[in-house]
Amino acid sequence: MNYSIMSHMIASYPDERTAMQVAKGLSRGGASYLEIQFPFSDPTADGPVIQEACTKAIENGFTLDRGFTFITELMKIIDTPVYIMTYAAPVVYIGVAEYLRRAKASGAAGCIIPDLPVGSDEGMYQISSELGLDCVPVIAPNTSIARLQEILNVGPKHIYAALRAGITGTKTELTEDSLSFLAEVLKYEVKVLGGFGIRTREQVSALDERGVASVIGSYFVERLESLIETDADIEQGMSDAISSLV
Amino acid sequence: MNTSDNGFFGEFGGMYVAEVLRSPLEELKSAFNEAKDDPVFQSAFAEEAKTYIGRPTPLLHAKRASKALGGAQIYIKLEGLANTGAHKINNALGQGLLAKRMGKRRIIAETGAGQHGVATAAVCARLGLECIIYMGEVDIKRQHPNVFWMEQYGATVVPVSSGSRTLKDAVNEALRDWARNYDTTHYLLGSALGPTPYPDMVREFQSVIGNEVLEQTRDLEIEAMIACVGGGSNAMGFFSPFIGEKRPRLIGVEAGGNGIAPGEHAVRMDGSGAVSVVQGYKSYFLLDGEGQVQNTHSVSAGLDYPGIGPQLAHLGKEGRVEFERVSDEQAIDAVKFFARNEGLCFALESAHAGAYAMRLAPTLTEDKRIIVNMSGRGDKDIFITARAIDEDNWISFLEQEAVR
Repeated sequence: MNYSIMSHMIASYPDERTAMQVAKGLSRGGASYLEIQFPFSDPTADGPVIQEACTKAIENGFTLDRGFTFITELMKIIDTPVYIMTYAAPVVYIGVAEYLRRAKASGAAGCIIPDLPVGSDEGMYQISSELGLDCVPVIAPNTSIARLQEILNVGPKHIYAALRAGITGTKTELTEDSLSFLAEVLKYEVKVLGGFGIRTREQVSALDERGVASVIGSYFVERLESLIETDADIEQGMSDAISSLV
Repeated sequence: MNTSDNGFFGEFGGMYVAEVLRSPLEELKSAFNEAKDDPVFQSAFAEEAKTYIGRPTPLLHAKRASKALGGAQIYIKLEGLANTGAHKINNALGQGLLAKRMGKRRIIAETGAGQHGVATAAVCARLGLECIIYMGEVDIKRQHPNVFWMEQYGATVVPVSSGSRTLKDAVNEALRDWARNYDTTHYLLGSALGPTPYPDMVREFQSVIGNEVLEQTRDLEIEAMIACVGGGSNAMGFFSPFIGEKRPRLIGVEAGGNGIAPGEHAVRMDGSGAVSVVQGYKSYFLLDGEGQVQNTHSVSAGLDYPGIGPQLAHLGKEGRVEFERVSDEQAIDAVKFFARNEGLCFALESAHAGAYAMRLAPTLTEDKRIIVNMSGRGDKDIFITARAIDEDNWISFLEQEAVR
């Protein structure tokens, strides 16, 4: 039985060549979706593991041009759908329409921008639906039902449910609270991705039972760190990391 | 219009936050709107402002400084005489009382220079609230006296080692903490920026400065009012009652640092800033060509921040507030000048406003009046100013102290 996983990675981290191996490994190992983060200097929804990796990627010369080129190159060799995650600052800076047009042209399936929430999205949901791009809203356990409906009204295909309050990275226990929050979201006709602190097969399996795909981020960044440290084969190592979870 | 239109000042402001922060912000907004119109809350604030902060702060006619410069009469609003040494306590008190009213017993805050941290820690001690202060490692190094006092007031000071390790990174950490702990915790943001309702709320609590000036200048015609601008809390509070009027001229002074090269200053309003969304609000920010937040520099930690409050961004764009820049060196010269001529010790932040007054006064006639907001006093800066002004004696003093 294969579980559905959205695996997260960071463009240009630790460098472009290695990032390409990471993407290939995750795709080969069974990822249903790749979430590729374009680094931003001040990632307020992320924990220390991802922030540090983003800082390094920027120091190593990450640019939007390089990021989109990376996606274009990647899409020539894999067919796993790619979602580009980033923050509002670089997007609003070049213009939401321009950013989405470039994302579409690169072959990405969609975008995730947590600080452009529905209603404060600078036209992102409107423009992306015109382009046929799947923008994924992020919700949290304290999102009210009224707000959830407001979000679903923009017609997203997927919704990303953070399974607890806080930031990425620290481990999440799948409590009754987080499961009942999921149950609420699952009433609607939208594919649910559950994330924040998912790092074991038990968690993935518990989510899968409910029809929820797992988003796994910091865990893979940490796996990558240890592969680099031990000078191991990156593509194989990342493929193994995800196959033990799917 | 002095308050935001649904969180926006023209095109600036808003609530660009991850979904998890939406409901805490909505909760805060309604709590603030109820409290500000509640006479019980108002009188609690007024009473503490009088007996604990020491309000009203004086408006001083700086006669010798005016004469030495030869021109307009300079008046100085002595916010530095407020308890804890700066205007920051006005907002800390207001939000502290509000947090208590909301049943939040844990307070978190960011600090740059440490003045907001000290004010928050003091208010928490006064009100019996738990206090955690996030402060960049770089700022901790340059503002040790404030760290010491925060800890004496019972606060836990958490060093922030991510990013540029200054004010903006402390804001990031505070936002992360709040996203985890909003049930029990109030985020006591110190500047008139961030997602709505902060820009409105901070301005309202700081408007006590401007309202006093209005009272203190009842029979006087004022040509210009000058305030330093980091995020903009002292400027917004000082300008607040005058925004809807055509006069006086309102002048915001940004940190010119060491020069105009990127990374050497914190000037956003001369065209260096780009419109984008950072830390939950839309405004002008110092970004590189990729939309990444740039490093900034100022001798004053409190002005060392890449963004400007959304209302000031709007007022600047509309032309109601004029913006000027003052360099590190000019700010230090202003500290020396007002110490020598008026017996006043300006904080390095406020000295930026003082320095611009020194530039403006000689261009005006003697019958004109300008007011400088001395938003803080400079005791906390002694490790920077003493080194800059009298390095040899200061170093030998420190050496003697170390072995004593």
